[in-house]
Amino acid sequence: MSSESIWDKLQTVDRRVFYWILFITLMIPYLRPIGFPITTNPPPKGIYDELSTVQPGEVCLLSINSGVSAWGDCLPAMVACIRMLADQGAHIIVWGMGHTDIDITWREIMDRSPELKDYVYGEDYAYFGYIPTQETTIALLAEDIRAVFSLDRYGTPINDLPIMKDVNEAKDFRLMLSSDTGDVQGYYIRQWHTKHGTPIGSIGIAMNASGDLPFFLSGDLFGLSGGSRGGAELEQLTGKPGQAITTMDAISVSHLLVVFAIILANVGYFATRGKR
Amino acid sequence: MSEVYKRELVFIVAGIVAAVMMVTYFFDIPVLNGVAQQFQVWALIIQLMAIGLGAINLVRLNYRHIQRKSEGIWVFSAWFMVLFSIMLLLGLVGLATGSEHAIYSWIFTHVYTSLSSTLYAITGFYIFSAAYRAFRARNIDAAILLIGGVFVMLTNAPVGAVIWKGFPIIGGWFNIAGQVPAMRTFTITGALGLLAYGFRTLLGKERGFYGEAGQ
Repeated sequence: MSSESIWDKLQTVDRRVFYWILFITLMIPYLRPIGFPITTNPPPKGIYDELSTVQPGEVCLLSINSGVSAWGDCLPAMVACIRMLADQGAHIIVWGMGHTDIDITWREIMDRSPELKDYVYGEDYAYFGYIPTQETTIALLAEDIRAVFSLDRYGTPINDLPIMKDVNEAKDFRLMLSSDTGDVQGYYIRQWHTKHGTPIGSIGIAMNASGDLPFFLSGDLFGLSGGSRGGAELEQLTGKPGQAITTMDAISVSHLLVVFAIILANVGYFATRGKR
Repeated sequence: MSEVYKRELVFIVAGIVAAVMMVTYFFDIPVLNGVAQQFQVWALIIQLMAIGLGAINLVRLNYRHIQRKSEGIWVFSAWFMVLFSIMLLLGLVGLATGSEHAIYSWIFTHVYTSLSSTLYAITGFYIFSAAYRAFRARNIDAAILLIGGVFVMLTNAPVGAVIWKGFPIIGGWFNIAGQVPAMRTFTITGALGLLAYGFRTLLGKERGFYGEAGQ
């Protein structure tokens, strides 16, 4: 008969057990939404407040530097911001770097933003597609957009787009939003904000939030949306619930489960420490 | 041209470019601004060429694996070549016709998107398993990290505030008073290091980019 205690056994549980526990637990809030209340924090509120001041006709930029894999974290916030900008009557220019799949992301944003239905392409918004990323490209865009883009994503010369009539450098943008999984937002801070004063808002994966927070506190970023929580707060602030608010229940359940697992593992660790 | 001249030329070009870029970042000198902008255009062209070069290199590498029937690799190389050819052909057809080919679009939307999202989502399962196995309060440092992590997690998850209103307050404190100063330290020391690297490049003392690191 084995002399192993329950705590010993808990130290060597097969990893597949955890996978199944997490999978089944995550199903619960999707099948039966709980609706935990979501409080808003200053970083996403900063984005909301700045977007609220945008006047009709002012040109704003969305730089999609996140790929499809980061949709869960970044897409809801991007959608919330674009919907809000469209409500404000802003002109929107979109390009992206770092990920070649940004066409799909932009298509998805448009699909989820009914406010864009009344927008006329070329006059109210324009899409330039993907460009390879290095800080030099972003520095060049800050000085002369036409040195980087001569055509939009659909092959139209950008000089033929009415929206581009008075736009050629960072100073011509009222603000810009950078959706990130990596370092691109830092390039924008250095090359657009520090050098030209363009206000920058950050939409990043949850992992980026800790690195971005010092820039928000220093005023280099007017706002910050970290992960799906940031997206949920923006959806709540704009009064347009979407995917992120739905996800929050699953986030709550999974986080609670991880905390429980950590506590259980440590109880087991201390209970069996004497034996080792 | 001798090897010495070739090397020195690289350092001189790198030094001049670095000097122009650094000066134009801090000072508004119209003549230099034009030169800096031209350098940036060249850098963009080089980046675009690098993408093409990368694709060619990828094909060469995988072709070699197929040719040599490298054990355990050549099958994947062959699969890569098939997919690469399909995407390349469809992309070229799209370029020629002026609109994205339907199959190209379908592969991106229904294959790439699903695979990409799935791969990212799977990390959640690994993190859960890893948190159980590795997150132990083995010493005081690990205990502080663990407690901080738990509070921050319960701050980010809406359920934290429902369980106890103090979680977001304490988690926020860990974020602002604990994490931000550390991150600022990393950022500032990193920037100072980058500045030193820039000056060394400017003076021709940084030779790592020429493949002479450690010499």
